[in-house]
Amino acid sequence: MLSCRSVHKVYATDRGPVDAVRGVDLEVAAGRYAALIGRSGSGKSSLMAMVGGLARPTSGTILVDGIDIWSLGDSAMARFRSRRIGYVFQFQSLLPTLRAIDNVALPALLDRSRSRGDVYPRALELLREVGLGDHHDAFPSEMSAGEQRRTVIARALINEPALLLADEPTADLDEQTEREILALLTGVNRDRSTTLVLVTHNLALAGAAEQVVHIADGAVVP
Amino acid sequence: MTSSTPRWLLGGLALQNLGRRKARTSLLVAAVAISSAVAFTGLVLMRSIERSTSVGFSRLGADLMVVAQDALTNITPALLTVEPTDTTVDAEAIGRAAVAGVGRVAAQRVLRTERSGLGGGHGDSVDLIGFDPQQDFTVQPWIAERLGRALAPGDVILGAARNLPLGAEIVLFGKPFRVYAKLGRTGAGTHERGIFMRAEDLIALGPSVRQQTGTLPSMLLPGRVSGFLLELAPGATELQVRFALLSRLTGVKVVSSGSLLTGIRQGLTALLGGLLALLVLMFASMAVMVGVLFSAIVTERRSELGLMKAIGARRGQIVGMTMTEAAVATGGGGLIGVLAGMLLLRLFERSLVYHLTEMGIPFLWLDRTGMLAAALACVALAALIGPAGALVPAWRAARRDPYDLIRGEG
Repeated sequence: MLSCRSVHKVYATDRGPVDAVRGVDLEVAAGRYAALIGRSGSGKSSLMAMVGGLARPTSGTILVDGIDIWSLGDSAMARFRSRRIGYVFQFQSLLPTLRAIDNVALPALLDRSRSRGDVYPRALELLREVGLGDHHDAFPSEMSAGEQRRTVIARALINEPALLLADEPTADLDEQTEREILALLTGVNRDRSTTLVLVTHNLALAGAAEQVVHIADGAVVP
Repeated sequence: MTSSTPRWLLGGLALQNLGRRKARTSLLVAAVAISSAVAFTGLVLMRSIERSTSVGFSRLGADLMVVAQDALTNITPALLTVEPTDTTVDAEAIGRAAVAGVGRVAAQRVLRTERSGLGGGHGDSVDLIGFDPQQDFTVQPWIAERLGRALAPGDVILGAARNLPLGAEIVLFGKPFRVYAKLGRTGAGTHERGIFMRAEDLIALGPSVRQQTGTLPSMLLPGRVSGFLLELAPGATELQVRFALLSRLTGVKVVSSGSLLTGIRQGLTALLGGLLALLVLMFASMAVMVGVLFSAIVTERRSELGLMKAIGARRGQIVGMTMTEAAVATGGGGLIGVLAGMLLLRLFERSLVYHLTEMGIPFLWLDRTGMLAAALACVALAALIGPAGALVPAWRAARRDPYDLIRGEG
């Protein structure tokens, strides 16, 4: 499903280049739940961004379902991000001017392959699945952090992606909400056979994963 | 449905983005509105002044007149006219001389006769003046009233001293003519008493004139004219053109109407050109300002743009959304500016134009079509300035990786 080969990421800074990811090789089989764990600044989020098509690797290859994603052009890459990947960020990532249901529908509408008449009922269904059916008209500013994160999960699922990437999705949430979010994500992995890659620095959260990958100083620790 | 959805969606997002910073959006709209109001008002006034002066200066007649050496001429404070005389010059003379600095040229044929048959053939002296309506700039500007159509073969224009109604029929040398228009008072004799017609119509009277008078006056011969009325091109001096004409043409004299009015006309033409350049510069500076503002807006919103790219927005959609936002803001400003400009023009009409008209100085407003075109041009230009200014920052942001934008880079 996911294959990373010798992936490097170097950031240019005022103080010179910084090696964020150094030669990572990683394989995650379809339908698996994998956890990337490591300390803050270890390179987990950068690796996740490269896998999700958000940051171009400095070198190396990332294959998703056998496709070298960074060889895709702008349109194909946009389609890939929209259709194949569901991304749950570690921060508030809803568009503030859109209602919850609009935010959930947005990736499908941007993809241009489905009509509003198809997308909105599905968005409402997903909001119900994450327990926000009554809040579909709410704007992000009217929702709690946990509700916003659940909305983001619903948005990540609107195009039924093969790969769900969650980058520290519970970092700013209380324990109860953290458990609810984690239950939602693992439920998606279990019930839909969606491959789940979860980034966390919380070892307890990674306990339920089928595959745990330790990252330290930009490299996979054997 | 599916293809229009993103446009609807991105357009809606653009409008919502504008509504998020109401104060900033209002200031941007106000700035564009002020510029558009100034541009629209300036453009309309400029064109109206140009139109008014065009008619006004045309009425002042030619700057120079070229006639045969022994021809009579009439110089009045208002109008330079060719006086009736038997001497003529070659109709191609000015064209052949090819003197730089000569603007418009109008040839005239003037026949003074007492045997035209007008007034019952009792010796009523008539000046018949043939002119080319396409080249003319000294006769038609004086028209005070006319039939509701263009000048046609067989039409005549009467000087102010002749009392016949429009549409009346007159007979000259046995041929019927229709009174098409009447001139206002000019103070120049030939214009006051004259009967003006197309040059072809005058030449066509030749055989009848010969039959009545026994001779064919030379100005009725094709290829001969009584004289030329000349207008100087902007920047050309009267002295320069006069010497050039005299050095290249023989047997002619060059008569001038005085350099003051020529100078005023040339100066006004240059001034109006300068004003137009200033308007262009004003819009250019507005485009730069909008560009700077949208650089800041894109920077402020880069994490949202990154987020949109992350969930599947294409570069074109990011650029399109930002440019739509800019176009709506500046286009809206342009529309408000044009409406404000119309109010300003109304005030102008009720103050300065009213006083000018009261003093007998005509002010000719740009016609309705011209006014509409100016309004549309100003709104369109304002609506284009936004996208033009926002294009570079939007394109630069759209090219960045989503993660860079989300992290606040770019």
